[in-house]
Amino acid sequence: MNKGPLAKHGAPHLQVENFGPLKHADLTFGDLTVLVGPQATGKSILLQLVKLLVDLPHIKKEFQRAGVDWVGDFSKFLAVYFGEGMHSVWSAESRVKFNGRTENLPQWVEEKCAHRTESMFFIPAQRVLALRDGWPAAFNYYDASTPFTLREFSEHLRLLMSDFRSDETLFPVPRRLKPEFRDLLQTHIFPGFELKIDTQRAQKRLVLASTQKDGGSLPVAVWSAGQREFVPLLLGLYYLMVASKAPRRKGVEWAVIEELEMGLHPRAITVVMLMIFELLARGYRVCLSTHSPQVLDAVWTLQRLKEHGANAKDLLRVFDANPTAPLLSLAAKVMQKTSKLYDFDRASGATRDISALDTAAEEEGMSGWGGLTEFSGRAASAVARAVANSKPGVRR
Amino acid sequence: MTAEQAVNATPHLQGKWERGLQALRAEDRPHIRAADTRALTGSVDVDTAWMRIEPNANRWDFAIGYQHEDRTVECLYWVELHTASDNQVDVVLRKVRWLLRWLKGEGMAMDGFERDIVWVSSGRTDYTLNGPQRRSFADHGLRQTGGILRISRKRG
Repeated sequence: MNKGPLAKHGAPHLQVENFGPLKHADLTFGDLTVLVGPQATGKSILLQLVKLLVDLPHIKKEFQRAGVDWVGDFSKFLAVYFGEGMHSVWSAESRVKFNGRTENLPQWVEEKCAHRTESMFFIPAQRVLALRDGWPAAFNYYDASTPFTLREFSEHLRLLMSDFRSDETLFPVPRRLKPEFRDLLQTHIFPGFELKIDTQRAQKRLVLASTQKDGGSLPVAVWSAGQREFVPLLLGLYYLMVASKAPRRKGVEWAVIEELEMGLHPRAITVVMLMIFELLARGYRVCLSTHSPQVLDAVWTLQRLKEHGANAKDLLRVFDANPTAPLLSLAAKVMQKTSKLYDFDRASGATRDISALDTAAEEEGMSGWGGLTEFSGRAASAVARAVANSKPGVRR
Repeated sequence: MTAEQAVNATPHLQGKWERGLQALRAEDRPHIRAADTRALTGSVDVDTAWMRIEPNANRWDFAIGYQHEDRTVECLYWVELHTASDNQVDVVLRKVRWLLRWLKGEGMAMDGFERDIVWVSSGRTDYTLNGPQRRSFADHGLRQTGGILRISRKRG
Protein backbone atom coordinates (compact mmCIF):
# COMPACT_ATOMS: atom_id res chain seq x y z
CA MET A 1 0.00 0.00 0.00
CA ASN A 2 2.78 2.41 0.75
CA LYS A 3 4.14 2.28 -2.75
CA GLY A 4 3.69 5.52 -4.64
CA PRO A 5 0.14 5.92 -5.90
CA LEU A 6 1.25 7.01 -9.36
CA ALA A 7 3.83 4.35 -9.87
CA LYS A 8 1.96 1.11 -9.46
CA HIS A 9 -1.78 1.42 -9.49
CA GLY A 10 -2.78 3.75 -12.29
CA ALA A 11 -5.72 5.79 -11.09
CA PRO A 12 -5.90 5.38 -7.30
CA HIS A 13 -9.23 4.02 -6.07
CA LEU A 14 -10.59 4.46 -2.57
CA GLN A 15 -13.68 2.89 -1.02
CA VAL A 16 -14.73 3.82 2.49
CA GLU A 17 -17.64 2.58 4.61
CA ASN A 18 -18.79 4.12 7.88
CA PHE A 19 -15.88 6.42 8.57
CA GLY A 20 -16.89 9.55 10.47
CA PRO A 21 -19.75 11.22 8.54
CA LEU A 22 -19.00 9.05 5.49
CA LYS A 23 -21.39 6.15 5.13
CA HIS A 24 -20.21 5.16 1.69
CA ALA A 25 -17.50 6.80 -0.36
CA ASP A 26 -16.21 5.46 -3.64
CA LEU A 27 -13.66 7.60 -5.46
CA THR A 28 -11.34 7.08 -8.35
CA PHE A 29 -8.76 9.84 -8.41
CA GLY A 30 -7.99 11.69 -11.62
CA ASP A 31 -4.96 13.84 -12.33
CA LEU A 32 -7.21 16.49 -10.82
CA THR A 33 -9.84 15.50 -8.27
CA VAL A 34 -12.30 18.03 -6.88
CA LEU A 35 -14.51 17.39 -3.86
CA VAL A 36 -17.63 19.47 -3.23
CA GLY A 37 -20.41 19.32 -0.67
CA PRO A 38 -21.72 21.11 2.38
CA GLN A 39 -19.69 21.65 5.52
CA ALA A 40 -18.94 18.61 7.70
CA THR A 41 -19.80 15.99 5.09
CA GLY A 42 -16.38 14.35 5.27
CA LYS A 43 -14.37 15.94 2.46
CA SER A 44 -11.47 16.90 4.68
CA ILE A 45 -11.58 13.64 6.64
CA LEU A 46 -11.41 11.71 3.39
CA LEU A 47 -8.44 13.70 2.13
CA GLN A 48 -6.67 13.22 5.46
CA LEU A 49 -7.43 9.52 5.24
CA VAL A 50 -5.77 9.35 1.81
CA LYS A 51 -2.77 11.12 3.33
CA LEU A 52 -2.70 8.48 6.06
CA LEU A 53 -2.90 5.70 3.48
CA VAL A 54 -0.06 6.97 1.31
CA ASP A 55 2.20 8.46 3.99
CA LEU A 56 1.81 6.40 7.18
CA PRO A 57 5.55 5.68 7.66
CA HIS A 58 6.34 9.38 7.34
CA ILE A 59 3.49 10.34 9.67
CA LYS A 60 4.61 7.88 12.33
CA LYS A 61 8.16 9.14 12.09
CA GLU A 62 7.05 12.75 12.51
CA PHE A 63 4.96 11.85 15.54
CA GLN A 64 7.85 9.88 16.99
CA ARG A 65 10.24 12.82 16.53
CA ALA A 66 7.72 15.10 18.26
CA GLY A 67 7.34 12.72 21.21
CA VAL A 68 3.76 11.80 20.37
CA ASP A 69 2.82 8.32 21.60
CA TRP A 70 -0.68 6.89 21.38
CA VAL A 71 0.43 3.81 23.37
CA GLY A 72 -1.18 1.38 20.96
CA ASP A 73 -4.62 2.90 21.41
CA PHE A 74 -6.06 3.45 17.93
CA SER A 75 -8.69 5.92 19.09
CA LYS A 76 -5.89 8.05 20.58
CA PHE A 77 -4.04 7.81 17.28
CA LEU A 78 -7.15 9.06 15.48
CA ALA A 79 -7.45 11.98 17.91
CA VAL A 80 -3.86 13.01 17.43
CA TYR A 81 -3.87 12.52 13.66
CA PHE A 82 -7.29 13.95 12.70
CA GLY A 83 -7.40 16.33 15.68
CA GLU A 84 -9.10 16.44 19.07
CA GLY A 85 -12.61 15.03 19.15
CA MET A 86 -12.03 12.78 16.14
CA HIS A 87 -11.23 9.63 18.13
CA SER A 88 -14.53 8.00 17.17
CA VAL A 89 -14.40 8.31 13.36
CA TRP A 90 -13.50 4.62 13.20
CA SER A 91 -16.00 2.02 14.42
CA ALA A 92 -16.46 -1.73 14.20
CA GLU A 93 -18.43 -1.16 10.97
CA SER A 94 -15.69 0.93 9.35
CA ARG A 95 -14.05 -0.39 6.19
CA VAL A 96 -11.32 1.07 4.03
CA LYS A 97 -10.22 -0.35 0.70
CA PHE A 98 -7.43 1.39 -1.17
CA ASN A 99 -6.35 0.29 -4.64
CA GLY A 100 -8.24 -2.97 -4.24
CA ARG A 101 -6.75 -3.89 -0.89
CA THR A 102 -8.82 -3.90 2.29
CA GLU A 103 -6.95 -2.30 5.16
CA ASN A 104 -7.41 -3.06 8.81
CA LEU A 105 -6.41 0.42 9.92
CA PRO A 106 -6.06 -0.20 13.69
CA GLN A 107 -3.73 -3.12 13.03
CA TRP A 108 -1.91 -1.45 10.18
CA VAL A 109 -1.07 1.67 12.16
CA GLU A 110 0.76 -0.49 14.69
CA GLU A 111 2.72 -2.49 12.13
CA LYS A 112 6.38 -1.76 11.64
CA CYS A 113 7.00 -0.14 8.29
CA ALA A 114 10.07 0.98 6.41
CA HIS A 115 10.50 4.73 6.14
CA ARG A 116 9.41 6.38 2.93
CA THR A 117 9.67 10.01 2.01
CA GLU A 118 6.44 11.96 2.13
CA SER A 119 4.43 11.57 -1.08
CA MET A 120 1.50 13.89 -0.34
CA PHE A 121 1.83 17.60 0.40
CA PHE A 122 -1.26 18.83 2.17
CA ILE A 123 -2.30 22.49 2.32
CA PRO A 124 -5.08 22.45 4.93
CA ALA A 125 -8.08 24.73 5.18
CA GLN A 126 -6.77 26.05 8.52
CA ARG A 127 -3.50 27.18 6.86
CA VAL A 128 -3.91 30.73 8.11
CA LEU A 129 -3.13 29.43 11.62
CA ALA A 130 0.35 28.43 10.46
CA LEU A 131 1.25 32.10 10.14
CA ARG A 132 -0.77 33.52 13.01
CA ASP A 133 2.28 35.08 14.66
CA GLY A 134 3.77 36.19 11.36
CA TRP A 135 6.19 33.28 11.18
CA PRO A 136 5.47 29.56 10.71
CA ALA A 137 5.69 27.54 13.89
CA ALA A 138 7.43 24.19 14.30
CA PHE A 139 5.51 20.90 14.40
CA ASN A 140 6.05 20.69 18.15
CA TYR A 141 4.72 24.17 18.80
CA TYR A 142 1.20 22.82 18.32
CA ASP A 143 -0.38 20.60 20.92
CA ALA A 144 -1.86 17.20 20.20
CA SER A 145 -5.33 18.64 19.62
CA THR A 146 -4.21 20.10 16.27
CA PRO A 147 -4.65 17.93 13.16
CA PHE A 148 -1.44 16.42 11.83
CA THR A 149 -1.94 18.07 8.43
CA LEU A 150 -1.82 21.58 9.90
CA ARG A 151 1.17 20.82 12.13
CA GLU A 152 3.00 19.27 9.20
CA PHE A 153 2.14 22.13 6.84
CA SER A 154 3.42 24.67 9.35
CA GLU A 155 6.64 22.68 9.78
CA HIS A 156 7.16 22.60 6.01
CA LEU A 157 6.75 26.36 5.80
CA ARG A 158 9.17 26.83 8.67
CA LEU A 159 11.79 24.77 6.86
CA LEU A 160 11.04 26.56 3.58
CA MET A 161 11.80 29.87 5.27
CA SER A 162 15.39 28.74 5.75
CA ASP A 163 15.78 29.11 1.95
CA PHE A 164 15.44 32.86 2.42
CA ARG A 165 17.83 35.29 4.07
CA SER A 166 16.79 37.92 6.57
CA ASP A 167 15.30 41.00 4.92
CA GLU A 168 14.89 39.00 1.72
CA THR A 169 11.86 39.48 -0.51
CA LEU A 170 9.64 36.39 -0.81
CA PHE A 171 7.40 37.83 -3.47
CA PRO A 172 7.93 38.82 -6.20
CA VAL A 173 11.26 37.10 -6.78
CA PRO A 174 12.89 35.73 -9.92
CA ARG A 175 12.92 31.93 -10.26
CA ARG A 176 9.92 31.59 -7.96
CA LEU A 177 6.82 31.10 -10.10
CA LYS A 178 6.46 31.97 -13.75
CA PRO A 179 6.76 35.72 -14.47
CA GLU A 180 3.20 35.59 -15.84
CA PHE A 181 1.93 34.34 -12.45
CA ARG A 182 3.97 36.93 -10.59
CA ASP A 183 2.45 39.73 -12.66
CA LEU A 184 -1.09 38.45 -12.12
CA LEU A 185 -0.57 37.96 -8.37
CA GLN A 186 0.96 41.40 -8.05
CA THR A 187 -2.08 42.88 -9.78
CA HIS A 188 -4.80 40.91 -8.03
CA ILE A 189 -3.45 40.10 -4.55
CA PHE A 190 -0.46 42.27 -3.69
CA PRO A 191 -1.01 45.57 -5.51
CA GLY A 192 1.69 47.99 -4.35
CA PHE A 193 3.24 45.52 -1.92
CA GLU A 194 6.04 42.99 -1.66
CA LEU A 195 6.08 40.06 0.71
CA LYS A 196 9.23 40.34 2.77
CA ILE A 197 10.99 38.99 5.83
CA ASP A 198 11.27 41.68 8.44
CA THR A 199 13.80 41.54 11.30
CA GLN A 200 13.41 44.98 12.84
CA ARG A 201 12.57 43.52 16.21
CA ALA A 202 15.16 40.72 16.05
CA GLN A 203 12.39 38.16 15.61
CA LYS A 204 11.80 37.30 11.98
CA ARG A 205 8.31 37.90 10.71
CA LEU A 206 6.56 38.21 7.38
CA VAL A 207 5.35 41.62 6.34
CA LEU A 208 3.84 43.24 3.30
CA ALA A 209 6.19 46.09 2.46
CA SER A 210 4.92 48.99 0.41
CA THR A 211 6.73 49.43 -2.92
CA GLN A 212 6.26 53.18 -2.65
CA LYS A 213 9.08 55.37 -1.41
CA ASP A 214 8.78 55.85 2.36
CA GLY A 215 5.91 53.37 2.38
CA GLY A 216 5.49 51.32 5.54
CA SER A 217 5.33 47.59 6.26
CA LEU A 218 2.18 45.77 7.25
CA PRO A 219 2.38 42.88 9.73
CA VAL A 220 0.09 39.86 9.34
CA ALA A 221 -2.54 41.27 11.69
CA VAL A 222 -3.19 44.15 9.30
CA TRP A 223 -3.31 42.17 6.08
CA SER A 224 -6.60 41.76 4.28
CA ALA A 225 -8.40 38.46 4.85
CA GLY A 226 -7.52 37.40 1.32
CA GLN A 227 -3.82 38.19 1.80
CA ARG A 228 -3.76 36.33 5.14
CA GLU A 229 -5.29 33.29 3.49
CA PHE A 230 -3.22 33.51 0.34
CA VAL A 231 0.28 33.92 1.75
CA PRO A 232 0.44 30.44 3.34
CA LEU A 233 -1.04 29.05 0.13
CA LEU A 234 1.63 30.89 -1.89
CA LEU A 235 4.37 29.48 0.33
CA GLY A 236 2.85 26.02 -0.09
CA LEU A 237 3.00 26.51 -3.86
CA TYR A 238 6.64 27.60 -3.53
CA TYR A 239 7.26 24.30 -1.76
CA LEU A 240 5.66 22.33 -4.60
CA MET A 241 7.01 24.40 -7.51
CA VAL A 242 10.65 23.76 -6.84
CA ALA A 243 13.08 26.30 -8.24
CA SER A 244 15.09 23.67 -10.07
CA LYS A 245 14.84 21.75 -13.31
CA ALA A 246 12.96 18.92 -11.63
CA PRO A 247 9.23 19.42 -12.18
CA ARG A 248 8.24 18.06 -8.76
CA ARG A 249 9.69 18.11 -5.30
CA LYS A 250 11.52 14.85 -4.75
CA GLY A 251 9.18 12.07 -3.65
CA VAL A 252 6.06 14.23 -3.64
CA GLU A 253 3.39 12.92 -6.00
CA TRP A 254 0.18 14.31 -4.53
CA ALA A 255 -0.80 17.89 -3.79
CA VAL A 256 -3.92 18.53 -1.70
CA ILE A 257 -5.32 22.03 -1.38
CA GLU A 258 -8.38 22.61 0.75
CA GLU A 259 -10.64 25.54 -0.11
CA LEU A 260 -8.17 27.44 -2.27
CA GLU A 261 -10.76 30.19 -2.74
CA MET A 262 -10.80 31.35 0.90
CA GLY A 263 -10.89 35.13 1.17
CA LEU A 264 -10.06 35.67 -2.49
CA HIS A 265 -11.75 37.85 -5.08
CA PRO A 266 -12.87 35.88 -8.18
CA ARG A 267 -10.03 37.41 -10.22
CA ALA A 268 -7.53 36.14 -7.68
CA ILE A 269 -9.21 32.70 -7.75
CA THR A 270 -8.65 32.71 -11.51
CA VAL A 271 -4.92 33.21 -10.96
CA VAL A 272 -4.79 30.49 -8.33
CA MET A 273 -6.56 28.08 -10.69
CA LEU A 274 -3.86 28.78 -13.28
CA MET A 275 -1.29 27.89 -10.65
CA ILE A 276 -3.19 24.67 -9.94
CA PHE A 277 -2.86 23.95 -13.65
CA GLU A 278 0.87 24.45 -13.26
CA LEU A 279 0.90 21.77 -10.56
CA LEU A 280 -0.92 19.43 -12.95
CA ALA A 281 1.48 20.24 -15.77
CA ARG A 282 4.36 19.41 -13.43
CA GLY A 283 2.87 15.96 -12.95
CA TYR A 284 1.38 16.27 -9.46
CA ARG A 285 -1.85 14.46 -8.77
CA VAL A 286 -3.92 17.33 -7.40
CA CYS A 287 -6.89 17.06 -5.03
CA LEU A 288 -9.01 20.09 -4.20
CA SER A 289 -11.95 20.59 -1.92
CA THR A 290 -14.00 23.67 -2.67
CA HIS A 291 -17.16 25.65 -2.05
CA SER A 292 -16.51 27.85 -5.07
CA PRO A 293 -18.67 27.52 -8.20
CA GLN A 294 -15.83 29.27 -10.01
CA VAL A 295 -13.47 26.36 -9.39
CA LEU A 296 -16.03 23.99 -10.92
CA ASP A 297 -16.54 26.43 -13.79
CA ALA A 298 -12.81 26.21 -14.45
CA VAL A 299 -12.88 22.39 -14.45
CA TRP A 300 -16.04 22.34 -16.58
CA THR A 301 -14.37 24.68 -19.08
CA LEU A 302 -11.27 22.53 -19.20
CA GLN A 303 -13.35 19.40 -19.83
CA ARG A 304 -15.57 20.91 -22.50
CA LEU A 305 -12.75 22.66 -24.36
CA LYS A 306 -10.90 19.35 -24.44
CA GLU A 307 -13.94 17.44 -25.70
CA HIS A 308 -14.63 19.95 -28.45
CA GLY A 309 -11.06 20.02 -29.72
CA ALA A 310 -10.26 23.57 -28.58
CA ASN A 311 -6.62 24.49 -28.13
CA ALA A 312 -4.37 25.83 -25.41
CA LYS A 313 -4.95 29.41 -26.51
CA ASP A 314 -8.70 29.01 -25.99
CA LEU A 315 -8.08 27.80 -22.44
CA LEU A 316 -5.78 30.71 -21.62
CA ARG A 317 -8.35 33.17 -22.94
CA VAL A 318 -10.79 31.94 -20.29
CA PHE A 319 -8.22 32.78 -17.63
CA ASP A 320 -7.45 36.16 -19.16
CA ALA A 321 -3.81 35.08 -19.43
CA ASN A 322 -1.47 36.17 -22.21
CA PRO A 323 -0.65 33.30 -24.57
CA THR A 324 3.10 33.35 -23.90
CA ALA A 325 5.11 30.30 -24.90
CA PRO A 326 5.44 28.96 -21.31
CA LEU A 327 1.71 29.38 -20.63
CA LEU A 328 0.75 27.80 -23.97
CA SER A 329 2.95 24.83 -23.13
CA LEU A 330 1.37 24.62 -19.66
CA ALA A 331 -2.17 24.80 -21.06
CA ALA A 332 -1.42 22.17 -23.70
CA LYS A 333 -0.21 19.80 -20.97
CA VAL A 334 -3.22 20.49 -18.76
CA MET A 335 -5.60 19.71 -21.62
CA GLN A 336 -4.24 16.16 -21.60
CA LYS A 337 -5.11 15.64 -17.93
CA THR A 338 -8.06 13.78 -16.47
CA SER A 339 -10.39 15.25 -13.91
CA LYS A 340 -12.81 13.65 -11.44
CA LEU A 341 -15.40 15.42 -9.33
CA TYR A 342 -17.32 14.12 -6.34
CA ASP A 343 -20.25 15.51 -4.42
CA PHE A 344 -20.52 14.65 -0.72
CA ASP A 345 -24.17 14.29 0.18
CA ARG A 346 -25.10 14.98 3.79
CA ALA A 347 -28.40 13.10 3.81
CA SER A 348 -27.05 9.80 2.52
CA GLY A 349 -23.47 10.17 3.75
CA ALA A 350 -22.41 8.97 0.30
CA THR A 351 -20.23 10.37 -2.43
CA ARG A 352 -21.59 10.85 -5.91
CA ASP A 353 -19.49 10.99 -9.06
CA ILE A 354 -20.42 14.26 -10.81
CA SER A 355 -17.40 14.24 -13.11
CA ALA A 356 -19.55 14.74 -16.21
CA LEU A 357 -20.62 18.14 -14.81
CA ASP A 358 -23.74 17.68 -16.88
CA THR A 359 -25.95 20.68 -16.29
CA ALA A 360 -28.84 18.87 -17.99
CA ALA A 361 -28.60 15.77 -15.83
CA GLU A 362 -31.69 14.46 -14.10
CA GLU A 363 -30.06 14.15 -10.68
CA GLU A 364 -30.09 17.43 -8.81
CA GLY A 365 -26.66 16.89 -7.26
CA MET A 366 -25.24 16.45 -10.73
CA SER A 367 -26.99 19.29 -12.51
CA GLY A 368 -26.61 21.64 -9.53
CA TRP A 369 -22.93 20.72 -9.26
CA GLY A 370 -23.22 19.48 -5.71
CA GLY A 371 -25.31 22.44 -4.61
CA LEU A 372 -22.85 25.09 -5.81
CA THR A 373 -25.13 26.48 -8.51
CA GLU A 374 -28.45 25.96 -6.71
CA PHE A 375 -28.80 29.56 -5.63
CA SER A 376 -28.01 31.07 -9.03
CA GLY A 377 -30.43 28.55 -10.55
CA ARG A 378 -33.23 29.55 -8.21
CA ALA A 379 -32.47 33.24 -8.70
CA ALA A 380 -32.55 32.92 -12.49
CA SER A 381 -35.81 30.95 -12.36
CA ALA A 382 -37.48 33.52 -10.12
CA VAL A 383 -36.40 36.42 -12.37
CA ALA A 384 -37.38 34.55 -15.55
CA ARG A 385 -40.83 33.84 -14.14
CA ALA A 386 -41.26 37.47 -13.07
CA VAL A 387 -40.17 38.73 -16.51
CA ALA A 388 -42.37 36.23 -18.38
CA ASN A 389 -45.43 37.32 -16.39
CA SER A 390 -44.76 41.05 -16.08
CA LYS A 391 -47.79 42.06 -18.08
CA PRO A 392 -51.19 43.31 -17.07
CA GLY A 393 -54.17 41.01 -17.01
CA VAL A 394 -52.47 37.72 -16.17
CA ARG A 395 -55.12 35.41 -14.77
CA ARG A 396 -54.25 33.42 -11.67
CA MET B 1 -61.55 30.87 -20.90
CA THR B 2 -59.67 27.57 -20.70
CA ALA B 3 -56.37 26.95 -22.44
CA GLU B 4 -58.17 24.68 -24.91
CA GLN B 5 -60.65 27.42 -25.73
CA ALA B 6 -57.76 29.91 -26.15
CA VAL B 7 -56.02 27.52 -28.54
CA ASN B 8 -59.19 27.09 -30.56
CA ALA B 9 -59.48 30.90 -30.75
CA THR B 10 -55.95 31.17 -32.19
CA PRO B 11 -55.38 31.21 -35.97
CA HIS B 12 -54.02 27.92 -37.36
CA LEU B 13 -54.26 26.20 -33.96
CA GLN B 14 -57.97 25.30 -34.05
CA GLY B 15 -58.43 21.66 -33.12
CA LYS B 16 -54.74 21.22 -32.35
CA TRP B 17 -55.12 21.05 -28.54
CA GLU B 18 -54.35 17.47 -27.49
CA ARG B 19 -54.78 15.52 -24.26
CA GLY B 20 -51.89 15.39 -21.81
CA LEU B 21 -48.55 15.55 -23.58
CA GLN B 22 -49.87 14.04 -26.83
CA ALA B 23 -48.84 17.12 -28.88
CA LEU B 24 -45.19 16.46 -28.04
CA ARG B 25 -43.08 14.07 -30.05
CA ALA B 26 -42.74 10.71 -28.29
CA GLU B 27 -39.02 11.26 -27.76
CA ASP B 28 -39.69 14.64 -26.13
CA ARG B 29 -42.27 13.52 -23.59
CA PRO B 30 -39.74 12.02 -21.11
CA HIS B 31 -38.28 15.52 -20.71
CA ILE B 32 -41.49 16.66 -18.98
CA ARG B 33 -42.21 15.38 -15.45
CA ALA B 34 -45.52 16.48 -13.95
CA ALA B 35 -46.07 15.81 -10.24
CA ASP B 36 -49.71 14.99 -11.05
CA THR B 37 -50.20 13.85 -14.64
CA ARG B 38 -53.99 14.25 -14.25
CA ALA B 39 -53.39 17.99 -13.81
CA LEU B 40 -51.88 18.18 -17.30
CA THR B 41 -54.79 19.77 -19.13
CA GLY B 42 -53.33 19.38 -22.61
CA SER B 43 -50.69 20.53 -25.06
CA VAL B 44 -50.34 22.11 -28.46
CA ASP B 45 -47.58 21.96 -31.08
CA VAL B 46 -47.23 25.59 -32.16
CA ASP B 47 -44.11 24.97 -34.22
CA THR B 48 -45.69 22.44 -36.59
CA ALA B 49 -48.94 24.40 -36.89
CA TRP B 50 -47.11 27.59 -37.87
CA MET B 51 -44.43 26.00 -40.04
CA ARG B 52 -46.51 26.60 -43.20
CA ILE B 53 -47.29 30.20 -42.23
CA GLU B 54 -43.81 31.32 -41.19
CA PRO B 55 -41.47 28.68 -42.61
CA ASN B 56 -38.27 30.69 -42.08
CA ALA B 57 -39.02 32.01 -38.61
CA ASN B 58 -37.46 30.71 -35.39
CA ARG B 59 -40.79 29.39 -34.14
CA TRP B 60 -41.48 28.19 -30.59
CA ASP B 61 -42.12 24.48 -29.99
CA PHE B 62 -44.97 23.71 -27.57
CA ALA B 63 -47.36 24.96 -24.95
CA ILE B 64 -48.39 22.65 -22.11
CA GLY B 65 -51.35 23.38 -19.83
CA TYR B 66 -51.22 22.51 -16.15
CA GLN B 67 -53.74 23.10 -13.38
CA HIS B 68 -51.79 23.82 -10.20
CA GLU B 69 -53.48 23.16 -6.86
CA ASP B 70 -52.89 26.76 -5.77
CA ARG B 71 -54.29 28.40 -8.92
CA THR B 72 -57.84 28.78 -10.17
CA VAL B 73 -56.78 29.06 -13.81
CA GLU B 74 -54.47 26.83 -15.83
CA CYS B 75 -50.85 27.88 -16.30
CA LEU B 76 -49.14 27.52 -19.64
CA TYR B 77 -45.63 26.13 -19.86
CA TRP B 78 -44.11 27.31 -23.12
CA VAL B 79 -41.51 24.65 -23.79
CA GLU B 80 -38.68 24.66 -26.30
CA LEU B 81 -36.78 21.38 -26.54
CA HIS B 82 -33.45 22.32 -28.00
CA THR B 83 -29.79 21.46 -27.91
CA ALA B 84 -28.20 23.48 -25.14
CA SER B 85 -24.89 24.73 -26.38
CA ASP B 86 -23.38 28.17 -26.67
CA ASN B 87 -23.92 28.37 -30.42
CA GLN B 88 -27.64 27.76 -29.92
CA VAL B 89 -28.18 30.56 -27.40
CA ASP B 90 -28.93 33.16 -30.07
CA VAL B 91 -31.30 30.78 -31.87
CA VAL B 92 -33.31 30.16 -28.72
CA LEU B 93 -33.38 33.84 -27.83
CA ARG B 94 -34.72 34.53 -31.36
CA LYS B 95 -37.42 31.93 -30.65
CA VAL B 96 -38.33 33.70 -27.40
CA ARG B 97 -38.65 36.98 -29.25
CA TRP B 98 -40.81 35.29 -31.89
CA LEU B 99 -43.02 33.78 -29.16
CA LEU B 100 -43.49 37.08 -27.32
CA ARG B 101 -44.28 38.91 -30.59
CA TRP B 102 -46.67 36.13 -31.62
CA LEU B 103 -48.43 36.27 -28.24
CA LYS B 104 -49.04 39.98 -28.76
CA GLY B 105 -50.47 39.27 -32.21
CA GLU B 106 -52.03 36.09 -33.57
CA GLY B 107 -51.53 34.21 -30.32
CA MET B 108 -53.10 36.89 -28.10
CA ALA B 109 -55.83 34.55 -26.87
CA MET B 110 -53.11 32.55 -25.10
CA ASP B 111 -51.28 35.61 -23.77
CA GLY B 112 -53.43 36.08 -20.69
CA PHE B 113 -52.39 32.86 -18.96
CA GLU B 114 -49.79 32.77 -16.22
CA ARG B 115 -46.76 31.14 -17.76
CA ASP B 116 -43.20 29.91 -17.72
CA ILE B 117 -41.07 30.10 -20.83
CA VAL B 118 -38.73 27.16 -20.60
CA TRP B 119 -35.78 25.89 -22.57
CA VAL B 120 -35.38 22.19 -21.91
CA SER B 121 -32.10 20.68 -23.08
CA SER B 122 -32.68 17.92 -25.59
CA GLY B 123 -29.14 16.66 -24.97
CA ARG B 124 -26.27 17.59 -22.72
CA THR B 125 -26.00 21.23 -21.67
CA ASP B 126 -22.81 22.78 -22.95
CA TYR B 127 -22.70 26.08 -21.15
CA THR B 128 -22.22 26.80 -17.50
CA LEU B 129 -25.37 27.31 -15.47
CA ASN B 130 -23.45 29.70 -13.30
CA GLY B 131 -22.57 32.03 -16.13
CA PRO B 132 -24.00 35.25 -17.45
CA GLN B 133 -26.08 33.39 -20.09
CA ARG B 134 -28.44 32.19 -17.42
CA ARG B 135 -29.03 35.72 -16.20
CA SER B 136 -29.43 36.91 -19.78
CA PHE B 137 -32.09 34.22 -20.32
CA ALA B 138 -33.86 35.36 -17.16
CA ASP B 139 -33.91 38.92 -18.46
CA HIS B 140 -35.72 37.59 -21.54
CA GLY B 141 -38.19 35.71 -19.31
CA LEU B 142 -36.56 32.43 -20.28
CA ARG B 143 -35.75 29.68 -17.80
CA GLN B 144 -33.20 26.94 -18.58
CA THR B 145 -34.09 23.79 -16.72
CA GLY B 146 -31.47 21.35 -17.93
CA GLY B 147 -32.82 18.14 -19.40
CA ILE B 148 -36.02 17.84 -17.38
CA LEU B 149 -38.88 20.23 -16.77
CA ARG B 150 -40.45 19.30 -13.45
CA ILE B 151 -43.92 20.70 -12.87
CA SER B 152 -44.91 20.64 -9.22
CA ARG B 153 -48.42 20.36 -7.78
CA LYS B 154 -48.27 23.88 -6.37
CA ARG B 155 -46.83 26.73 -8.34
CA GLY B 156 -45.94 28.70 -5.24
